Amino acid sequence: MTHATKAIYRLLLSDYVKVSKVSVEDMLFDEQDILRSMDKIEVIDFHQTLEVNGIRFWCYTAGHVLGAAMFMVDIAGVRILYTGDYSREEDRHLRAAELPQFSPDICIIESTYGVQQHQPRHVREKRFTDVIHTTVSQGGRVLIPAFALGRAQELLLILDEYWSNHQELHKIPIYYASPLAKKCMAVYQTYINSMNERIRNQFAQSNPFHFKHIEPLNSIDNFHDVGPSVVMASPGGLQSGLSRQLFDKWCTDKKNSCVIPGYVVEGTLAKTIINEPREVTLANGLTAPLHMQVHYISFSAHADFPQTSTFLDELRPPNIVLVHGEANEMSRLKQKLISQFDGTNTKVVNPKNCQSVEMYFSSEKMAKTIGRLAEKVPEAGESVSGLLVKKGFTYQIMAPEDLRVYTQLSTANIIQRIAVPYSGSFEVIKYRLRQIYESVETSTEEPDVPTLIVHERVTIRLESESYVTLQWSSDPISDMVSDSVVAMVLNIGREGPKIVPVEEAVKTQEETERVAQKVVYALMVSLFGDVKVAEQGKLVITVDGQVAHLDGRSGDVECENITLKERIKTAFRRIQGAVRPIPLPSS
Amino acid sequence: MGTSVQITPLSGAYGEGPLCYLLAVDGFRFLLDCGWTDLCDPSHLQPLARVATTIDAVLLSHPDVMHLGALPYAVKHLGLSAPVYATEPVFRLGILTLYDYSLSRWQVSDFDLFTLDDIDAAFQNVVRLKYSQNHLLNDKGEGIVIAPHVAGHDLGGTVWKITKDGEDVVYAVDFNHRKERHLNGTALGSFVRPAVLITDAYNALNNHVYKRQQDQDFIDALVKVLTSGGSVLLPVDTAGRVLEILLILEQYWTQRHLVYPIYFLTNVSTSTVDYVKSFLEWMNDSISKSFEHTRDNAFLLKYVTLIINKDELERLGDAPKVVLASMASLEVGFSHDIFVEMANEAKNLVLFTEKGQFGTLARMLQVDPPPKAVKVTMSKRIPLVGDELKAYEEEQERIKKDEALKASLSKKEEMKASLGSNLKASDPMVTDASTSRKPSNAGSYLVGNVDILIDGFVPPSTSVAPMFPFFENTSEWDDFGEVINPDDYMMKPDEMDNISMLGAGDGMESKLDEGSARLLLDSKPSKVISNEMTVQVKCSLAYMDFEGRSDGRSVKSVIAHVAPLKLVLIHGSAEATEHLKMHCSKNSDLHVYAPQIEETIDVTSDLCAYKVQLSEKLMSNVLSKKLGEHEIAWVDAEVGKADEKLTLLPPSSTPASHKSVLVGDLKLADFKQFLANKGLQVEFAGGALRCGEYITLRKIGDSNQKGSTGSQQIVIEGPLCEDYYNIRELLYSHFYLL
Repeated sequence: MTHATKAIYRLLLSDYVKVSKVSVEDMLFDEQDILRSMDKIEVIDFHQTLEVNGIRFWCYTAGHVLGAAMFMVDIAGVRILYTGDYSREEDRHLRAAELPQFSPDICIIESTYGVQQHQPRHVREKRFTDVIHTTVSQGGRVLIPAFALGRAQELLLILDEYWSNHQELHKIPIYYASPLAKKCMAVYQTYINSMNERIRNQFAQSNPFHFKHIEPLNSIDNFHDVGPSVVMASPGGLQSGLSRQLFDKWCTDKKNSCVIPGYVVEGTLAKTIINEPREVTLANGLTAPLHMQVHYISFSAHADFPQTSTFLDELRPPNIVLVHGEANEMSRLKQKLISQFDGTNTKVVNPKNCQSVEMYFSSEKMAKTIGRLAEKVPEAGESVSGLLVKKGFTYQIMAPEDLRVYTQLSTANIIQRIAVPYSGSFEVIKYRLRQIYESVETSTEEPDVPTLIVHERVTIRLESESYVTLQWSSDPISDMVSDSVVAMVLNIGREGPKIVPVEEAVKTQEETERVAQKVVYALMVSLFGDVKVAEQGKLVITVDGQVAHLDGRSGDVECENITLKERIKTAFRRIQGAVRPIPLPSS
Repeated sequence: MGTSVQITPLSGAYGEGPLCYLLAVDGFRFLLDCGWTDLCDPSHLQPLARVATTIDAVLLSHPDVMHLGALPYAVKHLGLSAPVYATEPVFRLGILTLYDYSLSRWQVSDFDLFTLDDIDAAFQNVVRLKYSQNHLLNDKGEGIVIAPHVAGHDLGGTVWKITKDGEDVVYAVDFNHRKERHLNGTALGSFVRPAVLITDAYNALNNHVYKRQQDQDFIDALVKVLTSGGSVLLPVDTAGRVLEILLILEQYWTQRHLVYPIYFLTNVSTSTVDYVKSFLEWMNDSISKSFEHTRDNAFLLKYVTLIINKDELERLGDAPKVVLASMASLEVGFSHDIFVEMANEAKNLVLFTEKGQFGTLARMLQVDPPPKAVKVTMSKRIPLVGDELKAYEEEQERIKKDEALKASLSKKEEMKASLGSNLKASDPMVTDASTSRKPSNAGSYLVGNVDILIDGFVPPSTSVAPMFPFFENTSEWDDFGEVINPDDYMMKPDEMDNISMLGAGDGMESKLDEGSARLLLDSKPSKVISNEMTVQVKCSLAYMDFEGRSDGRSVKSVIAHVAPLKLVLIHGSAEATEHLKMHCSKNSDLHVYAPQIEETIDVTSDLCAYKVQLSEKLMSNVLSKKLGEHEIAWVDAEVGKADEKLTLLPPSSTPASHKSVLVGDLKLADFKQFLANKGLQVEFAGGALRCGEYITLRKIGDSNQKGSTGSQQIVIEGPLCEDYYNIRELLYSHFYLL
C-alpha cells in the first residue's frame, strides 16, 4: 500500500478497535494485531516498480481518497490493471485517476455507480455551499454527517475556501467533530506530494490543510450551541455517536439543515431521511417530527458511467472484469459496455463472489542468447547447446563458461585425489588398464614418478612403494572410471603378486588345450546360453532359433545370420585372448 | 552487438571539481549532473559550453551545488534546453539551494550569472520521478528506460540506472550504503552485473571507521564549547547533509536536556524544513514508521530555531549558541559573516562537517595546522545615498544614452573587465602568519583603499532601463474564477513579515522567505562595499566527517559486490582515482577506466546477443533445477527460422554429449558447519578443511582472481576409505550437475 494509506490504515483500525462495542472475545482483532500487521506492510510509492518472484507491479493514483492506488501487475508480460475505487475527476486535493501508458490485458474495474451519471462537480459544490449559506444566514444550523476520512477533507477544503471568500460568514463557526479526522489531519498535512498540483502550489505558500476557519470539536460537551454553526460529524449513517446526538437535537427545527454528502448504506437513519419522512425515531426511542431540511448531495469519488466508459475506451483492454457493485447495476453496466465495444474482441465478465474467472494467455517465451554462444547468429538447422537460465520470467542461454559473467551463479570444478595402497609393480596396473580401456597413455611430465592417464580423465601416479594416487576432476564418467580403476588396483593388491608355479609352466600342450576349451565353453554358455558341444571341439550355439557352428580351434564360425556370426567371432577372439598365454614381446 | 556507450567527463575527473559528465547511449546524450563550485567561475564550464546544445536529457543526482549548481547558468547562457530528470526532493531542495546560493552571492557582489528567475526557468524543465520508477524515454531515446534509485547521502539522492536492451548503465556517485537517521542506505547493492558502472573515487583513500562514538564526540565537542561560554558555528549546505545534522542535534538536545539555542540560518531555512516535512516517503523506514504510529514528524524541530537573517543572532549578542549557517565553503553568505565575527574569540568553535571545496576559505582552514590568520573580504550591500546616488543616476543616464547609440555591448564588456580586475585585486588570500600579525584589537583592519563598486547594475542589453527581476503574476483560473488566496490581500501588521511576495503559485513560484523577498522587491539603487581585512583565527577549528558517503573500504566492497563488466571512475583526487583503479584492476575480468576531463572513452560492451523464441515442445522437455532465484537447465536445441525470427526446436538427432557443469558456490565455512551438523569432525588447518581423520578439502586460487574459466577449483584429497566417499557425496550435494 502507499505511504498515506498505511498511515491512515493504522488510525482507522485503531479507531475501530476503540469504538467497537463488542466484548473482548468477539473482537476480531486488537491493537496488538494491528501493530503486528504494520510490520508486514510494505509501502510502495506511486509509479515505483517492485518485483517479487519475477512478478512486477506498480501503482497509479486512483483519485478516490488520499493514497488510493490502482495497481498494474505484470506477470511474464501479461498485464492486469486493478482499479479499486477510482475517480477520473480531479477535485480540490486529489489527482484524477491516471491513464496508464500501457494497455492492460485484463482490466478489473469497479462498478459502484454502474450506468449512473454524476452532476458536474461545480454544480454539486454550488448546491452544497448555497444550502449551507442560506441556512446559516437564516440563523439555522447545518449538520453534515460524514465519514471521518476521504470526502470529509474535501468538504472541509470547500468550506474553508468558501468562508475565506465570504467575509460575512466569518463569525459563524465550522467544526469537524471527529477525533479520527483530527488525527488524520497530520497525515493530510504531510503527504502533500500525493495530492494534485493545486494543493502542491498552495503548499508553497502555506499548508492548505491548516484551516483558517475550521476548528476541531472533541465532544458535544465542548460545543456551545448558541446560534448558527456548521458541524461535520461522524458517523455518516447517523447510527450513533455525535452526528446522531446533533441530529436528535436539531431535527425538529425547520431552520436547520442536514446535508448528506455521499453514499449511505441501506438501513441507516441517513438513508431513511433522504426520503423525507414526516417523523423519525430518536436515539432514545421517542418519535419526533422531522422539520429539518434534508439535502442529498453526492461527493462520492467513484467513477460514473461516462468516466468508466471513456477510461475503458482509451485503455481498450481485451478483457474487462467488473467488480464491486450492486448486481443489477453491474449487469446493466455489462450490457452497456458490451454494446459499446461491439465488434471489437472485448470480453466483459461480472463474476459473483467466490466465482473464479479463468483466462489463458499463451505467452511467447523469448530467450536471449548471450556471450560466447552468441558470437555468431546460427542458421536454421544448426544446433545450440548451452545453459538455459531463468530468472523471474526472463530466459537467457549461455555457455557454462559465461555463467559467472552474466549471473551471480558460479561454476565449480572439484578435483579429487585419492591414495590407494598398492605395492606391486606399476607395469601390472598398466597392463590391466590396457585390457579394460582403449586409451591409456604414459605421461612423461615427471620422469621420476611413473604416471598413466586413462582417457585423458584419470591420472594414476605411483607416488611411493606403498601406494598409488588417482587424480581426476569430478564428473559422472570420470567418477565411474576412477571407481573401476580403484577396484582394479585393489584387486591386484588382494591377489598379491601371484608367483606362477614352475610346474604349471611345463604342462603339456594338450592339457592346456583341454582347459582352454573348457573355459571357452563355459564363457560361451554365459554369453549365449544354449551352447552344445559337438565333435572335434566344435560348439553349436543356438540363439533365438539361429544356429551357429563355432570351430573351437580355428575360430571359424558358420552361420546364416551375419550379425550373430560377427558377435560370436568377436566373443571368441576375446576369450582366446584371455585364456591363451600372453605371447612374450618379441624384442 | 551491444549498446554503444561513451562517456566524457566535462568536469570532476581526476580531481574533486564539480560533477558533470556526458554519457552517450546509442547516440542519446545524457548530461549526468551539472555541478558548479561555490566560487562560481564560468570558466569552469567551458567543456560544458561546447556540448550544452547537443544534450538530450539531464539527470540530477543530489540537491547541492556540486551536483546541480550550474544548471540555471547552463540553461540561460549555454543553450541547454533538454528535459531534466530528478526526484521530487532533488527538485525542491535543489531550487532552495540555488536560491540561497544566489541570494548569498548577491548580497556581497554584483552577482549576475543567474537570477532567481533563471533558477525557476531552469527547473521548469524538470520531470519529477519516484524511486524505482521506470521512465521510458521516447523519440530519440526510444527503448531507453531510466530509473532513479536510492543513493543515500542526501534526501532524494539518486543512483541512476539507464537501461537499453537489457544492458544497464549505472551512474552512482556519492552513495552511502549505511542507513542514517533520515535516509535509507543505497539500493546500489541490489544491482547485478551492470554493463557499466560509473562511480566516484572521492572517498577511495578515506577509511574512516564509523562509530556511534562519532556522534557522541561531536556533541561533546559542542557542549564543551557551549558550557565554557563560547559559540559554535557549523558551516553547512542549504538542504542536504544539514538535515542529518539537525536530527543529531535534536536527538542529543532531547537526551541531555540541553538548553543552548540552536539556529539554522539560511536564506530559505523555513521553506526548507516545511518541504522536508512533506518528504517522509523519501526518508528511511524508521522515520515513516514513527510517523505512521505516532504521527510525529521527525522534522518538527523542537530545539532548532529557523531564521533567515542575522537580526535575532545579533540580539542574542555573545551568549553561547550553535549556529548552522549555509555556504559550507565560507566564501560568502551567512557562514562567512558569522565566521568573521566568531574567529576572534578563542572560546568559540568552528566545526566543519564536510571537506571544503578546493580553493575556498573552508579548505584553507582545514589544513593542519590551521592558519593563524586569514584575509577576508567583508562586503555589504547598502543603499546609495547623497553623491553616490547622484553619480549612480548619472551613470544610468549615461548608459541609457550609450544604449541609444548602440554602443552598450562594448561598454558592458569594458565594465565587466574592470569589475573583474577589481575583484581579483581584493581576492581573499592566506597571508603568512608572521606578516599578518598586525596589531588589531578592534578586529577590523582596513587594508589599503576601500574598494567601492558602484557599477552594480548592468541593465540587460534588451531593456532600455535598469530592471530588477520581475515576476509576472500569471493567475490560475478554475471553475470559480481566478484562484486567489485571501491572505494575499490582507495586511495584518504582525503577519507582514510572513507574506510571501509571490501571488497564487503557478507551479514554479515557490515560497521565498521574507529576507529574499525584500531583497528582490528592493528596487532602491544599492551598492556593494567591500573591505579586505585580516581575521585572526583564534577560535578553535575542527573537522568531523558527516558527509554521509561510503568510505573507501565500503566502496571497494560495493564495487566487488555489484561486479560491473566495466567500471568508470570519476570524481576523486588523482591519487584516489589511481588507487581505486589499481585496486579494481586486480580483478582480471573487470575493465576499469578513469577518463580525464574531455577525454571520451568508449565503454560499449563487447557483448554479443541475439534473441530466440523458445518453442513449447522444447520447453516441455527441459528439466530445470532451482538455484536461489534462478532456474537453470541444460538445453540442446536446433534452430528453426520463421519470418526472420529464430526459434529453438527440440534437436532432431541425439545431441553430442557435453562436458558436465557443476553449478554452485561453495563457502568452506558454510560447508564446515554443514559437515559438523552431519556429525563429522571438521576443523580448519592451514587454509584447508580437515574432515574426519584423513580427508582434506581446500580451494585453490584466490577467489578474487578468478581464472579465465571463472570456476572455483576445489580439491578433495584423502586415502581410500569410506569417509572419502561419504564426504564426496555431501560435497556433491552442494552443487547442481548439468
